[in-house]
Amino acid sequence: MTLLEIFQTTFIGFSKAAWQTVLLTFWSLLVGTAIGLVFAFCKISSNKLLNGLAQLYITVIRGTPLIVQIFAIYFGLAEFIVLDSFTAGVFALAIHAGAYIAEIFRGAIQAVDSGQMEAARSLGMSYSLAMRLIILPQAFRRSIPPLGNQFIIGLKDSSLVAYIGGTELWSAGLGAAADNFKQFETYFINGLYYLALILLFTGLLRQLERRLQVEKRGTQG
Amino acid sequence: MISIKGLDKWYNSLHVLRDINLQVDEGEVVVLIGASGSGKSTLLRCLNRLERADRGEIHILGREINQTDKDLDQLRQQVGMVFQHFHLFPHMTVIENVIEAPIHVKKMNRRAAERLATELLQKVGLADKMHSYPHSLSGGQKQRVAIARALAMQPRVMLFDEPTSALDPELVGEVLSVMKELAQDGMTMVVVTHEMGFAREVADKVVYMDEGRIIEQGTPEQIFGAPQEERTQRFVSQIYN
Repeated sequence: MTLLEIFQTTFIGFSKAAWQTVLLTFWSLLVGTAIGLVFAFCKISSNKLLNGLAQLYITVIRGTPLIVQIFAIYFGLAEFIVLDSFTAGVFALAIHAGAYIAEIFRGAIQAVDSGQMEAARSLGMSYSLAMRLIILPQAFRRSIPPLGNQFIIGLKDSSLVAYIGGTELWSAGLGAAADNFKQFETYFINGLYYLALILLFTGLLRQLERRLQVEKRGTQG
Repeated sequence: MISIKGLDKWYNSLHVLRDINLQVDEGEVVVLIGASGSGKSTLLRCLNRLERADRGEIHILGREINQTDKDLDQLRQQVGMVFQHFHLFPHMTVIENVIEAPIHVKKMNRRAAERLATELLQKVGLADKMHSYPHSLSGGQKQRVAIARALAMQPRVMLFDEPTSALDPELVGEVLSVMKELAQDGMTMVVVTHEMGFAREVADKVVYMDEGRIIEQGTPEQIFGAPQEERTQRFVSQIYN
């Protein structure tokens, strides 16, 4: 069987599985971004409890392997609720990415010149209003490049959901290789699908960055 | 309008404000002068509670504001501030900078806010820059936008914290002339500046500070022409030599 033949025989299966990977990545990063935002606020908050909570979450997640976290959620939570592997995968990936995204947002918020908050407060804005209208829009802009990087990692991380019975791209690769015994060729083609997805995403990201570039302003108002 | 009594402030062991007593009347322009580190900016920042003094009282518009953390947002609506480094909002156009607080803090409707902003930008000579972003403006233009932004809240008092210190020399004049106009309109102003010409010409009262203390205060003629204290004399003679 040639590489081309393997490509043809796996095309439908891999394409369907690639869509599963896209869905898994999309939902996990959406939830992960929300989690990241919440914990970023906890971490810059002056409340010691929230602070400690955020620190604990980030330390545990960054300090343990993703596969352990996926197993912990899928098998651990099975004691209480039955999650299908897709849902469990979304939550595990989201909780994992959330820790890194929290740090990205925290850094971006703290990188906004402190004079911006002072100027906003001096106009009578409350802390939360100043955060929403003045600080966060600037912080989001700054967080797009590292966030894009994190999203690429998240897409590739989703492959680990194969090990709790996911039907995404890597599990399709494992299945196909088991059928045709052409390990190297099959995994090579499987990898190309990931590469294609990431190139697509990077292209979109570049468009977004270019659009923001048009309105790029100096660091000092 | 503003009455400061027995104000003391420390940064850890550093005593930055020492027993400050000062009165600012309605419509008065008070200029704080003194060397860097003399406490004049800190004093100014206490007036809208960007800083809090450790001891003493500040009454503004009939309310004590140093002892309580209540209603600070309301206080700041009445007390505008202009910063050395402008701090315009870089993600907004000039007019958005000006209307943002009136719309979201005062709940003014957008059209009224835009009308007010246009008027103010005309006043500071920047009506043609309304839809520009701050990064495309010169320092002098940025500072004039910052003044318009503060005025849009229709404050009763304006605080200026070294408004021309970050500007190229040729741009200082345009900012000072806007401030002069504002003073002529009767705005109550407290100004920290190194521009002695402005102090001479516009101030009703000049306050000389050194090492966190008010050494001497009086009319520009008194402070610049016939200073009583030795330290003031030394400071003034340094300026003119």
